[in-house]
Amino acid sequence: MANTDALEIKGLIKRYKDFTLDKISFTVPSGTIMGFIGENGAGKTTTIKAILDLIKADDGHVSILGYPSDKLPMDVKASIGVVFDGSNLHENLNVNNVGYIMKSIYKNWDTELFSQYVKRFELPQRKIIKEYSRGMKMKLSIAIALSHHSKILILDEATSGLDPIVRDEILDIFLEYIQEEDHTIFLSSHIISDIEKVADYVTFIHKGRIVFSESKDELIYQYGILHCRKEDVSGVDKNYIVGVRENSFGADVMIKRKEEFLKRYRQFPIDRTSIEEIMLFISKGKEML
Amino acid sequence: MNGLICKDIMNLRKNAKIFAVLAVIYAVMGFTSEDSSFFSSIFTMVVAILTLSAYSYDEIAKWDIYALTMPISRDDIVRGKYSVMLLLAFLGLVICSLFTIGINAVLRPEHLFSGLKNGLIGAGIVIIFYCIALPFITKLGVEKARFIFFAIYMIPFGLVIFVGKAVKKGDMSIPEELMTFGMRIMRNGFIIFPLLILLALVISYTISVGLYRKKEF
Repeated sequence: MANTDALEIKGLIKRYKDFTLDKISFTVPSGTIMGFIGENGAGKTTTIKAILDLIKADDGHVSILGYPSDKLPMDVKASIGVVFDGSNLHENLNVNNVGYIMKSIYKNWDTELFSQYVKRFELPQRKIIKEYSRGMKMKLSIAIALSHHSKILILDEATSGLDPIVRDEILDIFLEYIQEEDHTIFLSSHIISDIEKVADYVTFIHKGRIVFSESKDELIYQYGILHCRKEDVSGVDKNYIVGVRENSFGADVMIKRKEEFLKRYRQFPIDRTSIEEIMLFISKGKEML
Repeated sequence: MNGLICKDIMNLRKNAKIFAVLAVIYAVMGFTSEDSSFFSSIFTMVVAILTLSAYSYDEIAKWDIYALTMPISRDDIVRGKYSVMLLLAFLGLVICSLFTIGINAVLRPEHLFSGLKNGLIGAGIVIIFYCIALPFITKLGVEKARFIFFAIYMIPFGLVIFVGKAVKKGDMSIPEELMTFGMRIMRNGFIIFPLLILLALVISYTISVGLYRKKEF
């Protein structure tokens, strides 16, 4: 799988009455972590459902590990680990029951590995899932996703609603998992700090459209914040402006193509920015232009 | 698919105690009334109600959306549920038959196997009921399909009562040919009814698979 895309989405369209996933296209290179960010309702979960063939797209193409997502051979499907926002497991079952069921479902289920994760995550074996905390439920889902030697993990808001310590612990597990060069993670989240910590690439979806899908380092390198007087904003070529935030002292302007901008406007200093700021400027700042 | 059946059995196990108590109550009623037919006709249906519970558990856990990310096809999910339904109907039949034989052994040992057909009829009714209900559950989910179960139960009962009353009053007479036809079917029931049940199963399963393949989550 080296040098190929673990996940490829081309021109994906899904129309609902009040929302459209509009020609979504991006790729996730094998061996990397892709953070999929966007505000609530931007289309992250819908995209993931379309990737997993849980909803039928109106148009477009999705391939996972080189196979069309709607025609995945079972052995390929068995190498995809999925974690949703909730646990999706029956609350009256315990860890041993879950292990037994998964062993019957996955031919590549590794009982020993599952036991190791259960121990490592300190999941109580006698308690039923109903008595688990949200963090425990998420850890159990992650343990399942990791215990059948998945090549790709697809995680939908897997860290949301968890306290920072558990989140950090889970992110460390992802970083450990990605050490294998053919392992890939596609992680959707609206907690940008999590994405900033682990992702190699970031795809930003806003109102059903992809705003950018780039390497994290490139994003930080390309974007910057210009602090200037309000009246200076009109003098800047709008092609460089991503968004503007005005305050009582002046204006903060998110600039793209930073290098090029600095050559043209040598008088303006540009500050480093973060993915969170880029997302906020794109989501909220544009209307102010 | 084995994993899906295994999951349903594990989920339904917690009902075992309740059903054991129910079985004892019905058994005591059967012994005191010296009649096994009540137990036979009711218990298969009581056990079969667990099929609805299996659907409910999945719906509450939002299991299907998760299961479809595993090496499980949409057809497997439907097949799993039909298998569980048939297994439960069979379980009900086995319990009924054992009870009938038990009560016969105590009360009338010379007719040890008499009354076994009540259990078979019960199992047949259960399967026909689910053959009608399962496509609705597949399409609407068990919660939304509840009114359909009511209709499936009530319409045939209502019709029988209505026709029965009308015949008694003399407002309606059953044509001679229909009676003869009905009698002929009853005489050959042990061949005709299993074939009808099989046909109903094939049609119901095909419809459910068709509906589930198009389902969005």
